[in-house]
Amino acid sequence: MGCLCSKQKPVRTSDAEENAKAAEIEKRIAQEATAEKHIQKVLLLGAGESGKSTIFKQIRLLFQTGFDEAELRSYIPVIHANVFQTIKILYDGAKEFAQNETDSLKYVVSLENKETLSRGNLIQVPDCAQYFMKSLRRVSDANYVPTKEDVLYARIRTTGVAEIQFRRASFLFQPRGREQEERGVYKLFDAGGQRNERRKWIHLFEGYDQALFEDETKNRMMETKALFDWVLKQPCFEKTSFMLFLNKFDIFEEKALKVPLSVCEWFKDYQPVSSGKQEVEHAYEFVKKKFEELYFQSSGPERVDRVFKIYRTTALDQKLIKKTIKLVDETLRRRNLLEAGLL
Amino acid sequence: MASCAIHGGCPSDYAVVGFAAASFVLLCIRASYPFLYCKGPRTRTNDLWIVVVQIFGSFNLVLGFVMSLNYFNVNKRHPWQSCYIWGVWLGGALGFGLLISFRIVQVYQLYYLFVKRRLPSIKSNVLIPLILLPWMGGATAISITKPLNANCHIHWQWIAPVVCFIMLYISALIWLAYAIRHIEFRFQELKDLLRGIIISATATGVWIIAYVLIEVQEYNSWVQVISRFLLLFTVGILVLAFFSMSISQPLLSQMSLSGRRSVGYLTMGEALGIREGDSSQKASHSDVDFNEPLDRLLLDDNFRRSFMAYADSCLAGEGVHFYDEVLELGKIRVDDPAKRIYMARHIIERYINSGTEMEVNISHRTRQEILTCEDLTSPHLFDHAVVELLQLLKANLFKDYWSSVFFMKLKAEQCKEPDGQGSLDHLRHPESSSFSWQW
Repeated sequence: MGCLCSKQKPVRTSDAEENAKAAEIEKRIAQEATAEKHIQKVLLLGAGESGKSTIFKQIRLLFQTGFDEAELRSYIPVIHANVFQTIKILYDGAKEFAQNETDSLKYVVSLENKETLSRGNLIQVPDCAQYFMKSLRRVSDANYVPTKEDVLYARIRTTGVAEIQFRRASFLFQPRGREQEERGVYKLFDAGGQRNERRKWIHLFEGYDQALFEDETKNRMMETKALFDWVLKQPCFEKTSFMLFLNKFDIFEEKALKVPLSVCEWFKDYQPVSSGKQEVEHAYEFVKKKFEELYFQSSGPERVDRVFKIYRTTALDQKLIKKTIKLVDETLRRRNLLEAGLL
Repeated sequence: MASCAIHGGCPSDYAVVGFAAASFVLLCIRASYPFLYCKGPRTRTNDLWIVVVQIFGSFNLVLGFVMSLNYFNVNKRHPWQSCYIWGVWLGGALGFGLLISFRIVQVYQLYYLFVKRRLPSIKSNVLIPLILLPWMGGATAISITKPLNANCHIHWQWIAPVVCFIMLYISALIWLAYAIRHIEFRFQELKDLLRGIIISATATGVWIIAYVLIEVQEYNSWVQVISRFLLLFTVGILVLAFFSMSISQPLLSQMSLSGRRSVGYLTMGEALGIREGDSSQKASHSDVDFNEPLDRLLLDDNFRRSFMAYADSCLAGEGVHFYDEVLELGKIRVDDPAKRIYMARHIIERYINSGTEMEVNISHRTRQEILTCEDLTSPHLFDHAVVELLQLLKANLFKDYWSSVFFMKLKAEQCKEPDGQGSLDHLRHPESSSFSWQW
């Protein structure tokens, strides 16, 4: 911070320069503080493997410079590790399945034999398994350079907190001045979702505006429900808007037709009505309704003003994510205008 | 004198109650001192629970004796003034019974860790109620058969079974102490245990003698007064001398009021006297090649400290701290199993157990492998966890470290070294393509 000379001392030229510099520094600090206030801070919260980091990568691709070749190449070991991990899980799973059946050759792990992979839901195969196993020859090539899609599929467990800042062009307003331009600036934070990583979330909670809460319609549903409930009740989120991303919709579409929703305790009152796409839509609407009910149950009267929206997402689909972020942005701007009394 | 000898309220009664109260207060100070005044990591729930149980048991013991033997000459009209509540349940089962059961569990854990070299299969919060169950059963039997007279003195016939019951528990302590006698403990666990055994056996002996004297010399006022004095005096000594933290938290035992070292923060490595490393470990700066994989770079103290600070700033420091302590574990000789067990247990309690402040992000399978391992002294105990965490650190932090302030500071510090020859050459920002990943 700047320092001031004593009033008793005569003002010399060097002191005047120092004062001017100090004033300039204070002015810049104040400007940055003002700019900081207009930056929308967004936290990506959710259980492990729900897709937070994939959204994070998508934002980088859409609104930042994306990945250069060096960065793409840096994902080669990660992708190879995902493949090794998949093979190990398939191998262990195959051994387990073979023990319980007479035809043990049925589960031999090979590029052609998908028998073990087809029972992936029983042995916790990662979501990227199918994608990389289909492209095994390509990723194992000596001159392999990952594509953007490969990078999105690559699975790295997040530890600690990563942040990026991006700017989103406004569709509601043309940029007229510095202030309105700043309103389109977002700071996005990605944190790990495993239990030990969640205790670090508290460091992010003070002074944040929105929380992008991801969810997955998989076996960890009950944990996710408890997590969502807990986050909603945090005092620091009293005025925070929540954008709930019901993620991995592509997987949900497949599963909803094979496994009844009622296997999950939270959805035990679900009754299927039809089949095919209609059934998927019905199942999705049911899940959405459950989250809405949970939101209103967990939100007291002092929290009625905060915005809550649910979005259906597939984090790996760039077009869909771009569209979703646009909707999120519009919602937030509308809220800001409401708060400013302009709407 | 005759009146107060029988009904209580003698000056000696008040004096000994004062002494017992002072002992209890001193116990509270001794127990809470390490938590209130010592610097160091935040107190874990486990440490508090050890203190709380011992203070609770001691309080019950003192209060039970005071109320049941009527030191204050209170008219016993109300049901809540019953001997069975104060003497049998509070002073007996939930006082002395709780303290001795707790100590047995502590020694059992020591036995499991240092003799069997495994983590105890039954948690202490399950074992304590189990070991306390016979005390509850005994208290129930006494409450039903009602062998106490109006002065809360037990009938002759019951003295032998009660004494045998208490001696059974003390014998269990003696047997466990015998089983661990050959272990080279670092934090005076055996000394604490022997002190506990001697004190509890002596206290039991004094109580028996006092009770016998009270019964036999019923009409001798001096015997009544002195016996009553001795009873509570022994309780006061017992609550102070029986207290022990050492088994569950060696560092806090070092910092206790009677400790020899000055109050201050100690790492487990420092507490065990593990040296930081010989001169060959502190590799000369020109030996450090920043194109080396992360696991090699982390062997360098300066790099490790810098990377740790960077990881802490990204809220991902627990992995590097874990690696640091596993390195320290690696420095302990294989033929020093006691030290290895201390260190391994410390690492597990700090980094592996679910819910700890520094819990590392490893898979459930790896976590279970460590928690159910057959040999805590194994040099490969944490290998899988280290591999997983190195992968995590490489994927999340390694790349961005090179453009961080922490690396700049490391570079600046290296430049200031007197032996600056060629020290800048190897500090170039390594190309990401030349990183080698070791699995």
